Amino acid sequence: MSKKYILGVFNDEATLVDAFEKIKAKGILPTEVYTPYPIHEILEGMGKKTRITHAAFFYGLFAAVGILSFLTYAAVIDWPLHYGGKPFNAFPSFIVVTIVATILSITLLTLFTFSARAKIFPGKKAEIFHERATDDKFVIVLDTENLGDNAKAVEEIIREHGEVE
Amino acid sequence: MEERVVLSKKFKLLTYVLIGIGVLSFALGFVFDAKRTWANYLLNNYYFVSLAVGAAFFGAIQYITQSGWSAMFKRVPEALASYFPYAAGFFVLMYFGMHSIYEWTHDEVVQHDHLLQFKSPYLNIPFFFIRVVVFFALWIIMSRLLRKLSLQEDEHGGMEYFKKSERYSKIFIFIIAFSFSLFGVDMLMSLEPHWYSTLFAGKSFIAGLLHASSIMALIVILLSKQGYYKQLNGSHLHDFTRYIFMASIVWGYFNFAEFMLIWYGNIPEETMWFVKRWEGTYKILFFANIILNWAVPFLVLMPRKSSRSKMIILPVVLLLIIGQYTELYYIIWPATVHEAKFGLLEIGTFLGYAGLFAWVVGTALTKASLVPKNHPYLQESIHHHF
Repeated sequence: MSKKYILGVFNDEATLVDAFEKIKAKGILPTEVYTPYPIHEILEGMGKKTRITHAAFFYGLFAAVGILSFLTYAAVIDWPLHYGGKPFNAFPSFIVVTIVATILSITLLTLFTFSARAKIFPGKKAEIFHERATDDKFVIVLDTENLGDNAKAVEEIIREHGEVE
Repeated sequence: MEERVVLSKKFKLLTYVLIGIGVLSFALGFVFDAKRTWANYLLNNYYFVSLAVGAAFFGAIQYITQSGWSAMFKRVPEALASYFPYAAGFFVLMYFGMHSIYEWTHDEVVQHDHLLQFKSPYLNIPFFFIRVVVFFALWIIMSRLLRKLSLQEDEHGGMEYFKKSERYSKIFIFIIAFSFSLFGVDMLMSLEPHWYSTLFAGKSFIAGLLHASSIMALIVILLSKQGYYKQLNGSHLHDFTRYIFMASIVWGYFNFAEFMLIWYGNIPEETMWFVKRWEGTYKILFFANIILNWAVPFLVLMPRKSSRSKMIILPVVLLLIIGQYTELYYIIWPATVHEAKFGLLEIGTFLGYAGLFAWVVGTALTKASLVPKNHPYLQESIHHHF
């Protein structure tokens, strides 16, 4: 951790967004922003668009098709058995299994996708910028290397409402 | 913020023409095919009262959850709920058609049928109409009360009206949930008195909420095209479509669960209802219901962008309007008319009711400022975004 960071710590959403907009107006993009809940301006301002919803949709689609075809293959084509006088292709009873198993597949697959994209894995050492960043504080993290001459100005913007550490 | 809806002459003329078509279709229908006309009468009565009940329920939920986003639009559910007195009149007039559509009203049938004898303490004509009158009285009183408080709030302002409305809404949702469930059983399930399904009440209830939310979205979009609701933005539309989306998933779930359990249990008393509806046109309608009421809203309204676009919401809402019709047709026709007859009579009567409903709702909208004044959440609603 040889890099140097400036941290701006705020108490509420409005001041954070205000400072964030001002810093952005200077042409600087913060390295990271920690908030207790998602804030739209920040998400858009950081230029981050999530595609995980699309990924989840396609996982769901493939899981549903896959599970349905597996059930059909197993119960209708490969090993047809009579259960309670139902036809071999007991389609309505497949649906319940499909729904439940699809939800499980989506959950697990999106979890793995998210972990891979966010570079999180078990046993990873957490980078903690501020003790209460995952608590009730709003924290902006700025890399001093990117700031260059603007460091003073940025500090002032943050000082207006929050504190610098 | 005073903003009143002015109904254009064209709109009024259109509603009068539609009402005229409806009256004419009913008159001709009673002359030529009384039984089928009574079935139409029941379908349309139920169709539009389910919209009013769904809207009243929607309005009550907004008070209870203290929703900010919908404060601006609360005149719309209020206007839909103003249809109750008309619906009450129509349902009481159904007295004259009872023998044409309800099997359990025939004494000679009941005498030879143990099951109907067993059910007769509940299913008999006097008690049936007592229930109708009590339910409508409750709905009318409660929706009037909320409307009055909402108008008083416009005049005087302050928090007490909102708090009162919230308290009454808490009572109102219980009344609606209980009475509308029984109402659905009375009107639709008792068409085939030998059949029973526990999920039926829940399904018809959520169908009311689903189609009421889509009608409200339609009204709001149409009004904004006329130049009202200038503050309407994508987030408001998104919240409307969330209601449609949510209700359509619940409807799909109930519909599937009802079918699946009856299919799996395979008890003749229960399956006969579906067996009747598994042939010819009714089989097509069975799948059409699922596509119109669940698959289309579910798939189309899922992406964030499409749930904020008027161009996409409008066709979905129109399909849902058809969806409620096909669903009721699917329930009522096999039990009353038996053959899947669909012609000018059905179209004419539906148009008549649609005209009347549009007139009632439109007139109710003109009677008060479209955007409420002094509502505690009004500013939040206007600046709503997420």
